[in-house]
Amino acid sequence: MAEKVLTVCPYCGSGCKLNLLVENGSIIGAEPAHGVTNEGELCLKGYYGWDFLNDTKLLTPRLKKPLLREHRRDDFKEVSWDEAIDFAATRLMEIKQKYGADSIMMTGSSRGPGNEANYVMQKFARAVVGTNNLDCCARVCHAPSVAGLQATLGNGAMSNSICEIEDTKCILVFGYNAADSHPIVARRIIKAKEKGATIIVCDPRFIETARIADLYLPIRNGSNMAIVNAFANVLIEEELYDKDYVTRYTEGFEQYKAVVAKYTPEYVEKIAGVPAAQIRQAMRIYAAAPTAAILWGMGVTQWGQGVNVVKSLSGLALLTGNLGHPNCGVGPVRGQNNVQGACDVGVLPNSFPGYQKVSDPAARAKFAKAWGVPDLPANVGYCLTEVPHLVEQGKLKAYYIFGEDPAQSEPDLAGFREAMRNLDLVIVQDIFMNKTAMFADVIFPATSWGEHEGIYSSADRGFQRFNKAIEPKGDVKPDWEIISLMATAMGYPMKYNNTEEIWNELRELCPIFYGATYEKMEGLGYVQWPCPTEDHPGTTYLYKDNKFDTASGKGLLIAADWIPPHEPTDEEFPLVLCTVREVGHYSARTMTGNCRALTTLADEPGYVQINRADARKYGVEDQKLLWISSRRGKVVVRALVTDRANEGAVYMTYQWWIGACNELTGGHHDPVSRTPEYKYTAVKLERIGNQAEAESRLLKEYDELRASLAAAVG
Amino acid sequence: MNKLVIADPGRCIGCRTCELACALAHSAPDALTTLSPASFIPRLKVVKTATVSTPVQCRQCDDAPCVAVCPTGTLVMGDHSVQVIPSRCIGCKSCMIACRFGVIEVLPCEMNLSDRQPFGTTHVEAVKCDLCESRGAGPACVEVCPTKALYIVDSVVLAQAALKRREHSAAMLVIGGSDGYMSHTGG
Repeated sequence: MAEKVLTVCPYCGSGCKLNLLVENGSIIGAEPAHGVTNEGELCLKGYYGWDFLNDTKLLTPRLKKPLLREHRRDDFKEVSWDEAIDFAATRLMEIKQKYGADSIMMTGSSRGPGNEANYVMQKFARAVVGTNNLDCCARVCHAPSVAGLQATLGNGAMSNSICEIEDTKCILVFGYNAADSHPIVARRIIKAKEKGATIIVCDPRFIETARIADLYLPIRNGSNMAIVNAFANVLIEEELYDKDYVTRYTEGFEQYKAVVAKYTPEYVEKIAGVPAAQIRQAMRIYAAAPTAAILWGMGVTQWGQGVNVVKSLSGLALLTGNLGHPNCGVGPVRGQNNVQGACDVGVLPNSFPGYQKVSDPAARAKFAKAWGVPDLPANVGYCLTEVPHLVEQGKLKAYYIFGEDPAQSEPDLAGFREAMRNLDLVIVQDIFMNKTAMFADVIFPATSWGEHEGIYSSADRGFQRFNKAIEPKGDVKPDWEIISLMATAMGYPMKYNNTEEIWNELRELCPIFYGATYEKMEGLGYVQWPCPTEDHPGTTYLYKDNKFDTASGKGLLIAADWIPPHEPTDEEFPLVLCTVREVGHYSARTMTGNCRALTTLADEPGYVQINRADARKYGVEDQKLLWISSRRGKVVVRALVTDRANEGAVYMTYQWWIGACNELTGGHHDPVSRTPEYKYTAVKLERIGNQAEAESRLLKEYDELRASLAAAVG
Repeated sequence: MNKLVIADPGRCIGCRTCELACALAHSAPDALTTLSPASFIPRLKVVKTATVSTPVQCRQCDDAPCVAVCPTGTLVMGDHSVQVIPSRCIGCKSCMIACRFGVIEVLPCEMNLSDRQPFGTTHVEAVKCDLCESRGAGPACVEVCPTKALYIVDSVVLAQAALKRREHSAAMLVIGGSDGYMSHTGG
């Protein structure tokens, strides 16, 4: 009889509880548990996404020993932990001595390690290294949501809960493909529809939710700001907004009104390619609904003006009074299982755990005292996406990358690789050999999800405990223990006995998390922050009584003018590439790419989705390999001819290592959040005449890639 | 009357969890560690057209064309479904041609799955949805579907649905009231 270990799925931010079935120290299966968000359901990643723990080597091997090389031209050699830590700590201290603490950058991990390990990493950066140069992959996904919502409402997270989605009367889905990103959230949208909610979808692609939408607005790629301004224009000009709410609870209305004045639906029709009547209809439905929620994803954030669009989306909610009570609000649905958590515990260059600002002297004093250091750095640190430029400028010398794979997930990968080569020191801490680790000087092998315990934050601010199911194989350590060893070696003795000890230190320092105890999260326990006291049940929706977390306590209405995409298409590169998600794979794919069932469903080089008319125009045949290139790179990919893609745009999922769309994307980013414009790259397609040769070249390249990763670990 | 598994396209999100559950339910217990594209044989397939996403699988026809055309008695009527006796299959593809829904495949199979020596050298097998007959918990696809798009239809479900629709029809007549065309034509 298999033992059941209750844990949380390590993939998207839905926070699904599941049981791992363990027999003789090995996992043999997974089954859904009745968690708060998933209610006994799982998607394919939850059911079949655990066998990477068996080190299947389908894509890349697990790391089992610390690896080190004196020079990058050398092969890695297995070393003891003492040797690896000593090497990394000594080199890091030398670099700090020579170039200063701000020449060192660290990442957190928004994935398996958990909140405790991320807390320890940010403590290491701030108290030991002495820098705020610390970031996580929120930078490349929902950072604009955090920045935008903090500015307008005071809090960067979903204002509502995943569970509330099904009880709302209207859902405005904007640039968010729940079916592929969060199947378990998609389920709530379907339930809402069945309970009578009206669904409005704004997306250039005919996504699954568009199929059940009451109103679908096929907006042109790159027109977000214009369309949201037109929405605001309609609410104001047709007097659909809640005047009383706006007067009592918001600020900035007159200025906001002035900015959106020119964005009449008739004007925006030409920019967004959607009939003015549909724009009006969308807002008439949204404003009339007794409760309405806006859900958005990367379609809003991965743009050069993502922050502005987020601010304006929150403006729609403020104008209609759709905040501060249940079943409404604003929902930036976080992508990775713990990207909310990494932000929660301060893996951001501008905030301590609990969103306390590094620029606030009182916060610095509090954390300095708790961590036993005289002071902490006050200047906001660097962002993840600034790294290539900073290396080029000579400002950054060392990069400690923990549980992320930027050599797969960053834009303009050729540029990123160049930066990695020019760094004096690269430390990688991970569970798998990945594309980033191939640039490392030293590699720390860590325990994986399934092999350690801790707390994740799901997309709707819900803290949940995840548990250890099996013993790790190899000479690996939990992430927080590795970072503690580094701290100690660098002259800051750090020792924790378990994750609960770390969590208790963290919650003592964070008033909004204080009441979230391990005890409360036992079993299926789900505690949504803010949770200020131990007898507090947690908070399902934010801004109760319409009190916002801004300085004035009011919601700010902030609008901005539309800016066209950075890299327009032209004769040479006539199509727009937009990068999207693969339902059966996750993030940089090290985990799901090593799962047999998931790899069976989808494997290299991945698809480029292309409209039938464009396929005809460019001579593209369904299922055939072709070249896709931009000003920065060229990769091979397989065609998927589909009427769901709009004309003029093509779509690639970012999980593929050979069909790697980020070889094509560019570095242009939002001026505030520094999030890249992944959603708009000018590309061209080229047919490949000899398909048989292309297929065998693909197989060969894939084999060589796997062989090189395997050889690196010896 | 036969039972069948069918999907509500209004609920399907095209995630293919059902395909994996199906393939694994019809494989050896350790299939999750050995599965490959070659051995991945789901008996239902998610179809995505311009406007519809839905898994498609056998309707378990009561007057089944596949059963009627099969020359070797491979396809037979079971208690509440159309079943396959793999050892009888010669791979003539009559069932594939006869099937109105495109949900039977004739595939090469491994020797050990068949209890019959082939006439020649090729082992083949008609493959279709068997409602997970040998699985105690019922159809695996229904169990795993995260949006509960898949469900079992039997005579009870059909009767309930028909009753609901009759009630709806009755309500429509009441709404029609004295303006209903029957009263006019009658008077």
